[in-house]
Amino acid sequence: MKVLSFQQLPYRHLPDDFAQKYNSVVTTPYHELVDPALMHQDHVDFLDEMLHAARCGFDGIGLTEHSQASYDILPNPNLQLAALAYATQSEGLDTALACLGRSLGKSKEPLRIAEEYAVIDQVSGGRLIAGYPISLSYDANQNQGIPPIETRTRFAENIELIDKAYHTKEPFQWNGKYNKHPHVNLWPRPIQPKLPVWAPAVGNPNTLAGILDRDQVFLYLSWFGPKLTGRVFERYWEIAEERGRDVNPHRLAFLQCVAVGETDEEAHREYGPHVKHSFNTGLGCIPLESMGIPGYMDIKGVEFITKDPGDFGVMPKMRNISYSEIVDAQCCIVGSVETVTEQLIELVKTHRIGNLALMVQHGSMPPELTKKNISLLAEKVMPAVKAAFSDQGWDKWDHSWWPTGMSGANKND
Amino acid sequence: MTNTSTIKGPSREEIIPLWNGEINMRVRIAGSGPAMVYFHPAGGLYWDEFLDQMAQHFTVYAPELPGTTPGDPYIIYKVDSYTDLLLMYEEVIRKLDLEDIVAVGQSMGGMVALDLAANYTTLFSRVVALAPTGLWREDAPVGIADLYATPPEKVPAFLFQDPSIPAAQAMFSLPDDPEDIPMHVAQHVWNLGCAGKFLWPIPDHGLVQRLHRICAPTLIMWGEQDQLVSSVYAQEFANGIEDCSVSILSDCGHILQMEKLDETVEQVRSFLD
Repeated sequence: MKVLSFQQLPYRHLPDDFAQKYNSVVTTPYHELVDPALMHQDHVDFLDEMLHAARCGFDGIGLTEHSQASYDILPNPNLQLAALAYATQSEGLDTALACLGRSLGKSKEPLRIAEEYAVIDQVSGGRLIAGYPISLSYDANQNQGIPPIETRTRFAENIELIDKAYHTKEPFQWNGKYNKHPHVNLWPRPIQPKLPVWAPAVGNPNTLAGILDRDQVFLYLSWFGPKLTGRVFERYWEIAEERGRDVNPHRLAFLQCVAVGETDEEAHREYGPHVKHSFNTGLGCIPLESMGIPGYMDIKGVEFITKDPGDFGVMPKMRNISYSEIVDAQCCIVGSVETVTEQLIELVKTHRIGNLALMVQHGSMPPELTKKNISLLAEKVMPAVKAAFSDQGWDKWDHSWWPTGMSGANKND
Repeated sequence: MTNTSTIKGPSREEIIPLWNGEINMRVRIAGSGPAMVYFHPAGGLYWDEFLDQMAQHFTVYAPELPGTTPGDPYIIYKVDSYTDLLLMYEEVIRKLDLEDIVAVGQSMGGMVALDLAANYTTLFSRVVALAPTGLWREDAPVGIADLYATPPEKVPAFLFQDPSIPAAQAMFSLPDDPEDIPMHVAQHVWNLGCAGKFLWPIPDHGLVQRLHRICAPTLIMWGEQDQLVSSVYAQEFANGIEDCSVSILSDCGHILQMEKLDETVEQVRSFLD
């Protein structure tokens, strides 16, 4: 089993009445809300915390992409990942670098993404995990201007182009609907002959089938409350069986928000306000309409979620959700080492989770508290969760979706 | 679909094979008399009182945008571009074998009607465009991106100056049978998605450069309080089209043929007589 530390990069100093006055995406007014010195500090703290997680022994560190958002200011996460690739390399840290990832339904320049990944894989000596999400609707359609109905077709062409660019040795021409190139010939190529690919998704059956068919890892997220949305895991393993894939737990990654303290009382007291702030001002302030601009979701998908909106769990009420509801639905697991460990083990065992990404920073949480969370997770929680995974006998499964490092160096064979 | 039991709606339909057999386009038809082709807006074909009244004097042919015909959603993926869409509409009209055709289009349909008139200068004898999209002014951004991201409960007030009128209430009402609601909602959302292929993010395909080619006498009508496409565009169209009349209806939003039915019918008929 592999455990990663994951972070978003929120602006940590939003006003208390943010959720009443603003949305967190697309139209959020920058100059009205941001103190330049604090924005700079947030960027530096983010890198410090990610590096701290690598030094603490997490198997990997992860982040993702969102444009024009106050809750995750990572318009191109590969910029941060490049800095972390060098920092970890210079310290000799064998930490996987997971970009989860660059959104291909949004991208008008997929070969640029392929080049960025190749560069990070080179700098890090083959430690990259490449993520290829489709993109959230607001980001692809409202921010980037992609016609919603073309989001998935663009994704499909872009991933095919990137795959061919990595695996075709000779220069080739590409005449696609969205991309036309007379010469595709990437320099550099990734060190790893086959980059491990993890695909974040919300559980759409068609998307899950595509992930399995491409032999990638499905990354699911806890935002909407796994107590309410656990059926997505079941759906994934059912589709895996239907499509002839094995039930290797490493095919599944789960991202869970966590905050761990010495005692339950301390954890709730120290982290609680930040966790609540994170959900209320972040995901909670994304208008539901922006999650599905007409055309983004297939007609059958719209029919399905109109009948049964269960996959979205607590999302519709997140702008005003109470702290207790967040904790009860397990949107975030908060508590002592014992409490957090117990709940994570239960999730891992119940859903066959082979990769656990732990989101360690929430909303307004300051760097000292974030580093405390990271340290406690690495020292006291992670070993116990891994041991529980081993106790299931699941170590017997190969992990084919983990970086090879230099040992997998792409030779001229 | 129709709004209330008082609407007669289309009396027949034809399925026209297009695009080398790749696409079957459904055309809803009503009435008798000279040919009128009606191009519907982004929400799909919604047969209203205006079309019923037109059908008293014309044979109204209403082709459905590929993807918006129930049961055939994915045919939209056969339409590669806006240019191809115009070619498909030209083909369907040609295959209907009509003569002396009047074109009427609403919103996106108005853009399509005008662009067809600019591309095929003898295709229509007259053109009526009701609050058409297709142009762009920095000082009056067209609100397509706003419409698509508007919560459903706020859409009526966005499209109508007075959303309480019965025609507007009927248009936004859900099916009586709860079992039918998910598909009804999904079809409506999908219709917007299909139209978005030609409207998103900014419905400007360079029509402004082609307006001078329009030979057919043209009537541009607009609701003065239109929040989706500002009525300032009426004069922009008139500036570019050689033989163009403009009518602005007061106390009226984007869907003028429903909000000001009598005035719209009267002025359209007067223009076409």
